Amino acid sequence: MLIFLAKRLAFMALTMLAVSILLFLLLEVNGDAVAVKVLGPYTTEEQRALWLVANGYDRPLFVRYFEWLGNIATGDFGQSIRFRVPVSEVLWPRLVNTAILGGVTFAVMIPLALVLGVLAGMREGSVLDRSISVGSIVTTSIPEFASAVLLTFVLVFWLAWLPGTSSMNDGFAWRELVLPVTVLVLYGFGYIARMTRASMAEVMQTPYIRTAVLKGLPYRQVILRHALRNALIAPFTVIMLQINWLLSGVIVVEFFFAYKGFGALLLEASLNQDIYLIQACAMVAVFVAVATQTIADIGYTYLNPRIRFA
Amino acid sequence: MTTKKHDGSRLDRDETTTLEAVHPQLPQMAEDVFEGKVSRRAFLRTATLLGLSAGAAYAMAGKLTGEPFAPAARAQDGTPVKGGVLRVSMNIKEISDPATVDWSEKGNELRHVIEPLVRITSDNVAVPHLAESWTASEDLRTWTFKLRQGVKWSNGDDFGADDVVANFKRWMDPAVGSSNYGRFSALRTSNDDGSPMLENGVVKIDDHTVEFNLRVPFLALPESMGDYPALIAHRSFQGGNWVEDPIGTGPFELVELTVGSRARYRRKESGWWGGEVHLDGIDYIDHGDDPAAPLAALASGQVDILYRLNVEQVPAARAIPSLVLYQADTAQTGVARMKVTEAPFDDVRVRQAIQSCIDHERLLAIAYQGLGVAGEDHHVAPVHPEYAALPKPTQDYDRARALLAEAGYADGLEIQIDCVAQPTWEPNTCQALVEMLRPAGIDLAVNIMPGGTYWDRWMTTPFGFTSWTHRPLGTQVLSLAYRSGVPWNESSYSNPDFDALLDKAEATLDVTERQTIMEELELMLQGDAVIIQPYWRSIATASNQKVQGYAHHPAEEHHFEQVWLAQS
Repeated sequence: MLIFLAKRLAFMALTMLAVSILLFLLLEVNGDAVAVKVLGPYTTEEQRALWLVANGYDRPLFVRYFEWLGNIATGDFGQSIRFRVPVSEVLWPRLVNTAILGGVTFAVMIPLALVLGVLAGMREGSVLDRSISVGSIVTTSIPEFASAVLLTFVLVFWLAWLPGTSSMNDGFAWRELVLPVTVLVLYGFGYIARMTRASMAEVMQTPYIRTAVLKGLPYRQVILRHALRNALIAPFTVIMLQINWLLSGVIVVEFFFAYKGFGALLLEASLNQDIYLIQACAMVAVFVAVATQTIADIGYTYLNPRIRFA
Repeated sequence: MTTKKHDGSRLDRDETTTLEAVHPQLPQMAEDVFEGKVSRRAFLRTATLLGLSAGAAYAMAGKLTGEPFAPAARAQDGTPVKGGVLRVSMNIKEISDPATVDWSEKGNELRHVIEPLVRITSDNVAVPHLAESWTASEDLRTWTFKLRQGVKWSNGDDFGADDVVANFKRWMDPAVGSSNYGRFSALRTSNDDGSPMLENGVVKIDDHTVEFNLRVPFLALPESMGDYPALIAHRSFQGGNWVEDPIGTGPFELVELTVGSRARYRRKESGWWGGEVHLDGIDYIDHGDDPAAPLAALASGQVDILYRLNVEQVPAARAIPSLVLYQADTAQTGVARMKVTEAPFDDVRVRQAIQSCIDHERLLAIAYQGLGVAGEDHHVAPVHPEYAALPKPTQDYDRARALLAEAGYADGLEIQIDCVAQPTWEPNTCQALVEMLRPAGIDLAVNIMPGGTYWDRWMTTPFGFTSWTHRPLGTQVLSLAYRSGVPWNESSYSNPDFDALLDKAEATLDVTERQTIMEELELMLQGDAVIIQPYWRSIATASNQKVQGYAHHPAEEHHFEQVWLAQS
């Protein structure tokens, strides 16, 4: 178990290192371009040259890379060009906001998807199964930008039930969270529900379930005691993957509803060519991706007794 | 928000439809207001009584009578209420040094706290602000500005000549990097980059008088002082971060500013030199770059007014009955300009033929939702003070075909126009041109390219579509773009008579006199057929019904001293 963990963590570190090299090469190898972005397009050649020397851009690439890596490892991402404050000052509050959005989304989406998926998978082919399946396919196939527009039109402009944006300008407001969470849940829940349904349907056909039913065990007990644990192995991995997809989903949703989160920040950073902020955001996104993958691997191994830690 | 008030035309089709929807009698009443049979006040009363929103009624009344929002009339029809915080949706950008700001939004973030010497009003008129009055010498090279007395800085200091001199010294130092360095180049020893300010360029005569001595005559000095980088900071500000110690003369003080998120202002306890201010404060909220978000925030009551409504959003905003729409006519435009030194455009008959195919009103309707004023192919806008009305150019295909045949293109002509991809009104206008030129046998290809690519070749392409921003004076634009040999002369137009006449216009302070000269200049440009100018763009915004006393500014400046919030 410990060896397995160590291996996974080492793999995680390697992946992030590789990404960091790519990121650095992509954004910083051309010092002149960095100077233009930091100082603005109306600066003179002279000003740029001075800036490059003052900030150590005349040194060898690998020296700069390791210095940069060291800074990042200690949480120093540099100064944001757009916000004129240290990157970490902008980044962490935005991450917290996205964690809140993502947390609420998951708290709604996972129970909903699992319950619907299990209900559908229990009796394959029933009316309930068909309607849940069709419903989840429909919602999953509508992209976030379309459902956001549609929901805003109905709930904000037409019925006037909900606020149209979620900037939380007067402090945290649950009402402002309803629309973004609904959009994310609508898009995300169907996939998990269908995976759960497939997994559940498969389990329901295994000999041991048939035996349990034939033995005369109450149906309820068969489902809760015997079927569920096995049926949830596959959805678990999907749920972990969903965290990654959520990160791309929040870009659309946060931008549309003006929610001050990580997704909107990533987009703003790239639109404004705020390179230090882009670097920081990309590293965070990679970290989340790699970490959830590791958790998914560990959890899968733990849930599925046929796979042993090795 | 008066539209076309200079040529005295009435409501457009949309507005008539709106009136009709409220009450069938209203369009007739509007007609009567226009002819002076019914008073503006009676119209307002009846229209609002019948259910037309106050904002729309004021706007139409203003348009019909040719008068802008008259403050007196406004006060009669509603007594301002004190109190309330105005919530505005706008991008919040960084503003560490007021001298180097470069976006209208940044100007708005500063304007409630620090103020200009001269203010350009919503009607495009330069009026005294921190300056009380000014006089110019005969040759327009010596200007004397009297400063307002009794104006206090928020730290208790008196505002005076020292503040003005200190600001000009800073602006005219090339190391500061202020755009004012170029704006006031008449104050420098030469036009070359890097030249210092004239020894006696800005002189303090006494505590409340400043004299400006220019190298060359400069008519637009007051107008230039109204631009947003020319807001006057306290004399102690010498660089660094202004936000940390925002001393100001304005009616509000800055409480909080977070880039990309929000800015808050509160009314200054010690009062404002300009009189009573109704609002308790202003809250700016940044909704990001998606234009849909601010409109959604306004519709659901999260903000009271927007910074800007894109032309594509106007129909959507119009469909929401609780909103008030504002429009401002500007001198912002786009021109399809022909390079007079390149074939086939070196033949004036070809240029005139192309010009004869244009129906300006239709171009405006097709490419810009009808929000603006049709152009007249001479780049002087109806909002410019020296604008002289000319007979409207008309579409005439017979003339076009005859001219083409004369120029040797009886079998038709194939040409191409270059334009940028964004914003979409520019390629849309070029596409509309294609349809308009076809009946005359002119086959126009539209070459849409990314912004950067276009701006690399905007000076050299034979036929290109270029957007030009709002400038308060017509002479400013003509000098920039149509004088022989100036850097931005994209059409290579060169006409000594035109140059001489323009010199004369620039040295004429009297507006009526300048208008007479301008008429000739306009005719000259029109006759030489240098540009196809489709329309002057109107810019729009929207508020909820609570907001009173707001007029939309052609340069999107926010002036909120007279704005108040109606109790709902």
